[in-house]
Amino acid sequence: MTQAEEGLIAAFVHDSREARWLADLRGGALARFAALRLPTARHEDWRFTSLAGLAPLPLARAPEGDLARARALLARGPAAEDGARLVFVNGRFCAELSAGGSLPQGIVLSSLAEALRRWPDEVRPHLGRLARPDALAFVAANAALFEDGAFLKLPAGAALDAPIALVFLSDGPAAAAAHPRTLLVAGEGARATVQEWFLGPEGAAYLTNAVTELVLADGAEVEHVRLQVEGDAAFHVSSVHAEQGAGSRLVAHAFTLGARLSRAETYARLGGEGARVAANGLYMADGQRLVDNFSWIEHAVPRCTTEETYKGILDGKSRGVFSGRIRVMPGAQKTVARQMNSNLLLSDDAIVDTKPQLEIFADDVKCGHGGTVGQLDETALFYLRSRGVPEADAKSLLVWAFASEMVGLVGPPSVRARAKNLVAARLPAGARLLEAA
Amino acid sequence: MTGNGKNGGTGPERSALLSVRGLRAKVGENEILKGLDLELRPGEVHAIMGPNGSGKSTLAGVLAGRETFAVTGGSVTFAGEDLLALAPELRAASGIFLGFQYPVEIPGVGNLYFLRTALNAIRRAKGEEELDAMDFLALAKEKMKLVDLAPAFGSRSVNEGFSGGEKKRNEVFQMAVLEPRLAILDEIDSGLDIDALRVVARGVNALRREDRSILLVTHYKRLLEYVSPDCVHVMAAGRIVRSGGPELADELEKTGYAWVQGMRPEMAAGAAPAARGAVGP
Repeated sequence: MTQAEEGLIAAFVHDSREARWLADLRGGALARFAALRLPTARHEDWRFTSLAGLAPLPLARAPEGDLARARALLARGPAAEDGARLVFVNGRFCAELSAGGSLPQGIVLSSLAEALRRWPDEVRPHLGRLARPDALAFVAANAALFEDGAFLKLPAGAALDAPIALVFLSDGPAAAAAHPRTLLVAGEGARATVQEWFLGPEGAAYLTNAVTELVLADGAEVEHVRLQVEGDAAFHVSSVHAEQGAGSRLVAHAFTLGARLSRAETYARLGGEGARVAANGLYMADGQRLVDNFSWIEHAVPRCTTEETYKGILDGKSRGVFSGRIRVMPGAQKTVARQMNSNLLLSDDAIVDTKPQLEIFADDVKCGHGGTVGQLDETALFYLRSRGVPEADAKSLLVWAFASEMVGLVGPPSVRARAKNLVAARLPAGARLLEAA
Repeated sequence: MTGNGKNGGTGPERSALLSVRGLRAKVGENEILKGLDLELRPGEVHAIMGPNGSGKSTLAGVLAGRETFAVTGGSVTFAGEDLLALAPELRAASGIFLGFQYPVEIPGVGNLYFLRTALNAIRRAKGEEELDAMDFLALAKEKMKLVDLAPAFGSRSVNEGFSGGEKKRNEVFQMAVLEPRLAILDEIDSGLDIDALRVVARGVNALRREDRSILLVTHYKRLLEYVSPDCVHVMAAGRIVRSGGPELADELEKTGYAWVQGMRPEMAAGAAPAARGAVGP
């Protein structure tokens, strides 16, 4: 067993105050993790993503975070005035940095630990139902070890106009592991936008292992925006698991911009007729960093739609991985599914592995996938430079032009503006471009 | 690089704005420019004509700094500076503008946003104050009128989905905003119907000034009926083989390019200086 695996198992603490069902869930998950162990390159879904850098870290339960440092990190995150904001430091709820906002009647937003104490019957039917610990090692570790996270319940017809911000801060130190957990249950026709931020300090080899479950009843509309801007030495693994009822709509964005190694997974099960999912992703990496996007969308019933668009920008000796599986089950007729993965390589040493997988077991469907791997257009670059735009600015402008489609897909203007800032901050002349915008 | 000041002379003896001497350039292993000489004084409009493949567009690209062309010999002096030593953006800052034969579509980059970025980069390089969004917009609106470009083209992506004529008008619009000292217009007339050609020509004529030179690269005489040049050069096989006044274009119209096709460099070398001597304002 690796030190990382030993550390995770040793971090398990049995809390005698916890309800029996939860203790059972955790115990089962821990046993499952010990059996599964961390994925290796022999695992088909991890073929291109080596955890060799994580394996020797003696991962331990993250200590209490420092409030001043957390506050400083939070300055890079979403503003408090944008709406309700729940802040977690090293996986634990931080009331001092959180702001409740004013929520419409009937909507429950709380930390998951509080929800487990006060409304266990609301949590129990869903927790671990979509993110099942039996097959995925990181999900199993999260179930066994999560301390807190967010809980959002929208009753039928409830509409939340201001985006909710969930901010997961890591406060170092090396080898600290946090396992935040989010559960969103949207009743029939309910609407909400949730942003999940992941932030941490530069230079610290910590692990964030986050799991999010999204339950969308019939007609519910949820926009979920994942903004991963971890520190440059961090390991980040997060998965979003959604289940969609009839006529529901999920728009899931994954901006994966930080971390030394990042794995962003998205699972959606279209279980009611007419459900629609848009899975969008923008990943950027440079240096020796690796960014892996994995998605699995299942069409279980007829007349559902998938629109999947992922774009990658890779510089230096970085590596990008995209694998997108769309499975159309027998009987899921009139399925429409489109998948696109485009990559921009900014250096000769950057690598991308892209793996579309359409598995179609129905015969009356429209499914397609496409992808590109290219470099900056030399002619466009010369055109800009010939007009006086310096080379670095011209490159930034063209990279921004490539990335901006993904930013533009974000609905709420305040979240879109933040996504734009985060992307621009990673471009050499980004600040000047934003100024001129 | 020896920036020895501006050429501010006003008399007939004033020195050249652009001076090309023995310029050689190649693409890959293929030599395209084979010892080209050319001189433009401030305020002059010169036309370079020649058959396809004679190197006209290569010359335009080399002057603007296109890196696909490797300069292997000769010199280019622009306003007293060694132009070949400058990156494309610095050439733009020192006053070179290239109007593209095929203007590039850049999805995702707004037309005016791009142009303001370019103008302010040039202003920064010249130590001038940058224009803010409001002032720039006022300037852009005024200049768009020059080529009948509707305001909607400002917010669209650079050249994306523009018709051939709209792209060329957009080039002239950019030239109007950037106010170059030397505009090299590479087949600005290609693909234009007669109405579009008139609009483009009107724009170019409006931008003629005593301190601005224009180099028109064209295959056909048609453009020169609207923008009358001071001097016409004929290019063949990578060199200028004949130079003369506007009447040279008429002659080419009658005889075609067949006579230059077979011309060998040594013949051209004899022809060029004699002709150049005959040209003058």
